[in-house]
Amino acid sequence: MTTSSLRQYLQTLETNGDLHRISEPVSWNLEASAVTMLLNEEDSAVPLFENVDSARLVGDPYRGTQRRPWERIALGLGLPSDLSYREFYEAVIERLKNPIEPVTVSTDDAPCKEEIQTGDDVDLLDFPWPYIHAGDGGRYSNLHTLVAPDPDSEWVDWSNHRTMIHDGETSSVLLLAGEQTPNLYYYKYEKRDEPMPVAITVGAEPAVQYTSVMWIPTGRNEAEYAGGLKQEPVELVPCETNDLSVPATAELVIEGEILPNERRDEGPFGDYFGYMHGPRRSMPLFRVTGITHQTDPILPFCVEGTGVGHSENTTSSMEIGCVGPDATLGLRTAGFDVECCAPWKSTPRTIYAISTEKTNPSYLHDMANFIFTTWGMLHVDFFIFVDADVNPLNQREVLEALALHADPDADFHQFGVETMPKVPLNIYQTPTEKGDIQTGTSKAKTAKAYIDATSDGAGREAQPTHDIERRYRAQKILERAGVESSELSFVDPGEATQ
Amino acid sequence: MTTVRRHLDRLRETGDLISVTERVHWEGAVAEVASEATRHNCPVTLFENTSGTVRPVSGVYGGADQFASADQRPWQRISQALDLGPECSYTELIEHLARWETSDIDDVTDESAATVRDSGDIYSLGLPTTSDGTPLVSLGLLVVERDGVTTWAPIRGRAQRSQTLRLSVPESVVEWCTSSADVSVVLGVSAAPLIAALQGWTQGQTTPSVPNLAAGLADVSVTTVGSRTVPSDAEVRIDGRMNAVESSVTEETEPRAAWELTCETATVDVNVETVAVREDPLVPFTPLGEPLTDDIHLMCLVETAKLFRRVNNYWGVSPVEWIQLPVEGRLGFCIVSSEILYAGFEWQLANTLFSFSDLFDKVLVLDEQADPTNLARAIDDMWVKAHPANDWIFSEPNASSAAAPLYRSDDENGSRLYINATWDPRWDEEYIAPRVTFETAFSENVLESLIERWEELGLDDLLDERGVNTDHE
Repeated sequence: MTTSSLRQYLQTLETNGDLHRISEPVSWNLEASAVTMLLNEEDSAVPLFENVDSARLVGDPYRGTQRRPWERIALGLGLPSDLSYREFYEAVIERLKNPIEPVTVSTDDAPCKEEIQTGDDVDLLDFPWPYIHAGDGGRYSNLHTLVAPDPDSEWVDWSNHRTMIHDGETSSVLLLAGEQTPNLYYYKYEKRDEPMPVAITVGAEPAVQYTSVMWIPTGRNEAEYAGGLKQEPVELVPCETNDLSVPATAELVIEGEILPNERRDEGPFGDYFGYMHGPRRSMPLFRVTGITHQTDPILPFCVEGTGVGHSENTTSSMEIGCVGPDATLGLRTAGFDVECCAPWKSTPRTIYAISTEKTNPSYLHDMANFIFTTWGMLHVDFFIFVDADVNPLNQREVLEALALHADPDADFHQFGVETMPKVPLNIYQTPTEKGDIQTGTSKAKTAKAYIDATSDGAGREAQPTHDIERRYRAQKILERAGVESSELSFVDPGEATQ
Repeated sequence: MTTVRRHLDRLRETGDLISVTERVHWEGAVAEVASEATRHNCPVTLFENTSGTVRPVSGVYGGADQFASADQRPWQRISQALDLGPECSYTELIEHLARWETSDIDDVTDESAATVRDSGDIYSLGLPTTSDGTPLVSLGLLVVERDGVTTWAPIRGRAQRSQTLRLSVPESVVEWCTSSADVSVVLGVSAAPLIAALQGWTQGQTTPSVPNLAAGLADVSVTTVGSRTVPSDAEVRIDGRMNAVESSVTEETEPRAAWELTCETATVDVNVETVAVREDPLVPFTPLGEPLTDDIHLMCLVETAKLFRRVNNYWGVSPVEWIQLPVEGRLGFCIVSSEILYAGFEWQLANTLFSFSDLFDKVLVLDEQADPTNLARAIDDMWVKAHPANDWIFSEPNASSAAAPLYRSDDENGSRLYINATWDPRWDEEYIAPRVTFETAFSENVLESLIERWEELGLDDLLDERGVNTDHE
């Protein structure tokens, strides 16, 4: 069954034994994130902190297991939990191909309107925004959907940009030029000296949260894609203080505007790279005009930095479970013969592996250059192409392909010339290179790169998927001998039937 | 001394061994199951019920893919087999292998441990077969003597007929001894002789005193057969006479062992005279050509230890924290973690490694904080810490081709690549981004407070149920 709210999703987690309720008082000041990081690293249950001042916190609710990072993304979509990664990708792609229009509901029917604060009643500090890492510049909301309109069309973009709370009325929003919403802000609203109306939707239903990290094409209705993912219309409700509509089932909605030419400090922050990213920089100022929320709201957050290496968090899981299928669909739609496009499993965003049947160099060159010109590529520095029977999510298989099939002389491309835009979050830049405080861009360019790690038929034995029956019989013998398939990443359920 | 039997007992005690008790035919099926077991990070797999004399066992010196889980230590079975204790770290193991110590062998017995069983029917042993149905020989040793010196050398091969083994051996071994020497082929020997044989014959120099090298690695017990010193713990010993085979009649189509990448090889036939076995003999084998196999694990460690020894002796200081040829990269990729002494040191370090090994043409240089037990995090630094334009350094295309990669098999020259994922020593300290870890992200006060309330928060029960240790306490 498709999940229609964060609460329903958490209930499903609890039914599966994957939710850990903590009723003891826990502080938003590092304690909630410390517990979450521990559980992330230990691949344990999702923590729901029920006693944190005026609201509840949930740490990394969509974090998958280390072996199957897409697992809880699938749960939020009502997909079977035992899908192989290929089956999961194809299921999500099919849903994205069939968008469903949203419906608008009245304020009375919108859970997010149970409590409404506007004017002088508005106080961001009424809520326990977590202080996530020691050394962070402040308290953050970092798992939400930022709703922002294009001033020249009907298009409304949904995206995920962390926001650092400054006081009861203001925060700074990380807007990195080169992404959709920041581009709207810097190159339309601010140039016209107009405030950008926005709504930060915290704790929206899973399909909305997933859509906000996907590379939905500019101009397309994101709510329709969320409906497609959900296989039901998403319910929207008008905001109280601006003309935007927001998902009605959200736990909390912060209405407001991002002001032109106003800046506030942002960061440092322990970022998705697994490093504490600095320096502190100025980012656009968000001023709150209203807050609506459910009674006893649940605020999700992500402990960034724990998605690197052998652990998962919501960001890294959504990169695999949401961005991966979406990118695969995007490349196929553009006419490329792509088996699967997936992020390097333990490195959110920076590197993607693409498996493909067609491996001739000109084809890969064309595909790489197509990818590098799309807006979603700001965070991605590397693509590595592998044969169609290599699982892009299996880091061993991809590293083996890199080691044995990528010729330093012929297969590494576009290194050494700094021509492409780069996200200023990259840690390999000096502080001087990182920051332009006016537009959120990097001062420097970078060299994006693609690596051809396909075999070209040279000396490579195919992965044994072609001999499924013998493989299956062998696996069954091992299972009967006592191999725990769930613990040993032995058989990927569903894989044997392909 | 850790014999194969003792090693397997320990693995069984720690839950790292499964016994396949159902009937599995040695022809094809055993190798197929072993392939799946190694590919999917399964425990050591012992086949108790095959129709032949021996009990095949796979993964004895292998280990799991380190990407699969933070708990995986791919080298752990080898350190256990060398009797280095369960707490032996990766660096301690490499340092142990890098010493190349030799010891006298005192424990020579006159009696053969394995008992002569017949006049040499290889097929009746029931060794796992290759895809064409011929018995596979892997993880064994050739034992040969010259002028009172016995050496042990790595082998890979198969039964040619019921009384002939056709083996690939280091060419230098054939050159060292007479080509028609009396030899023994031993299977089911402990880790030290296997590693010592690789050190003696695949490291770019000839060191025939392999039994002494083995004794420097661990206790070994030997016996005498003819004039040869033979590991007495061998589960199977095949005695016979060796004959070199003209290269024109050896057309290799089957997968080779990892050690064959490191040296010139020659093909020999062993005409079998007698076969001696222990009771219910155990024969470790490896399904060649698959990822994560025992031969890859052994060769990765041996080559790494050589590099570690040579690099640290080369500089006069020891800045290198650790080196790894990750088994996941099949000898084609090298990682080095080091203090960067000065700007450009990483260039020297990478090129030193290239000059000391012909196996790989890609080196990843990490800073000294990198953890050899966390391959996933180490590789992440390659993607996020190395500047794509400035830190991926390609050489002029004049380098000789590396042995492990599968491109440029025509021996044409090409480029090498090193990736510098260290902080630039010219950077100010303020530029350096601290890593986000459990220890760095939270103050001691926060951690102490949580630990005091561990039970109230339900973390004891939660983590305990999932088999998680609570070392954070």
